[in-house]
Amino acid sequence: MLKNNYFKIIIVTIILISGCQIAKKSQQFYENQIGDTPFNKSLDNSNFKFCDSTNVLHKRAYIQYTGGEKALEEELIKKYVFQPEHKGFSGYFIFRFAVNCNNQTGRYRIQILDPNFKKANCPKNLETHILSISKSLKDWNHAFYKGKDYDGYRFINIKMENGKIVKS
Amino acid sequence: MKVITCQILFIIISTIGYGQVNCYIFPEGSGERQACELCDKAIKYPQGSKESQQLFDEAIAIGPKFAWAYYEKSVPYFKRGFLLEGLDILNEAIRLKPLEYLCYRAYWYWQYRNYKLCIQDLETYYNLPKAYIQFTPGGEKDMRIILGLAYARTGNYSKGIETISECLNTYDSENDFGFADYHSLGILYVKSKQYDKAIEVLKKQLLINEDIADSYYYLGLAYKGKQNKEEAKRQFEKAILKLNDIGRYYNANAGFRVYLSDVIEAVNTLQK
Repeated sequence: MLKNNYFKIIIVTIILISGCQIAKKSQQFYENQIGDTPFNKSLDNSNFKFCDSTNVLHKRAYIQYTGGEKALEEELIKKYVFQPEHKGFSGYFIFRFAVNCNNQTGRYRIQILDPNFKKANCPKNLETHILSISKSLKDWNHAFYKGKDYDGYRFINIKMENGKIVKS
Repeated sequence: MKVITCQILFIIISTIGYGQVNCYIFPEGSGERQACELCDKAIKYPQGSKESQQLFDEAIAIGPKFAWAYYEKSVPYFKRGFLLEGLDILNEAIRLKPLEYLCYRAYWYWQYRNYKLCIQDLETYYNLPKAYIQFTPGGEKDMRIILGLAYARTGNYSKGIETISECLNTYDSENDFGFADYHSLGILYVKSKQYDKAIEVLKKQLLINEDIADSYYYLGLAYKGKQNKEEAKRQFEKAILKLNDIGRYYNANAGFRVYLSDVIEAVNTLQK
């Protein structure tokens, strides 16, 4: 009898614990701010450091490229090597990344979308090439906000049609 | 004064679309009322913060039909490059209240340079029987002007001109015009090589707001198109001066942006 009750208690406990875990799973996890990107050793360069990781700005307009968006785009287009095999790709590459207070960049994350803004797949070598030319942009100017230097996040959106970068 | 009235009008109208909702319009104790009150709490935290996002989630759980919660939750995703996540959330708001939120999605399609989808949403919106005047979230442009510019970005200048002209015709007087409405129309006239009309419209622009550097550049292009090199040069020089003026009007959502290098190139081609 005692053994039977003991068994019931174990079963009930297991059900309760698993129930709690399901409830926990349904609550979405958030970083302190949407867009905070923690270091991931399989993706990120360990040399990139924030000057103050507790106070990274999410104000994209404050991080500018020398010569403006036009210079940025021209540099991308100049560095981009068109491969005829990528002619079939049209869509968007949206890169989020951080620029620290020393104008260094890191924590690149990417979304690839099709012309209808649905998640898309693109040839791996195209993705690698676009990522590498995006990372090669060096003329970033970190955020200067209310009289202080800041680390910050921003993103760039590269539009492609038939395997070529479209000017904005 | 005219300009201030205009700005206040824009802000009022744009906040009707995207601003705070009055929670008292929902019955006490209803899911929507509770969701609304949670959203009111959420927006007191910094936008995009964990605290505010979690409150929006709570609001959605209690009142899944309360569209404003989805809209507010989506905003930081769009602003920070999470387009897929932003769209997933905003689409729910649109499903519940297309009249209120279609234009907001169109705005982000425009921002992310998907002109085809922007046009699609705005055409759907303006075909809704109760469509009303909506503005960009910053309040600076009527969404019909964005639609006109989007047509132009797909190469359809004549439809762009038609759309913007029709929009401006619905205003009672020029007092209701935005700071860059004539400018937007002027660009499209230049692009479609209708230089006389471009000059006429861009001159009107300068009477409303003379602080957009790009207006002088396009005016210069129009004179250049009419072989008036002297006047073209004068306008390009004004554009350069204005581009160096940090107090100039930046004209958000211009659609076609002019840089110093464009103006210098234009001056150089005049000399050839």
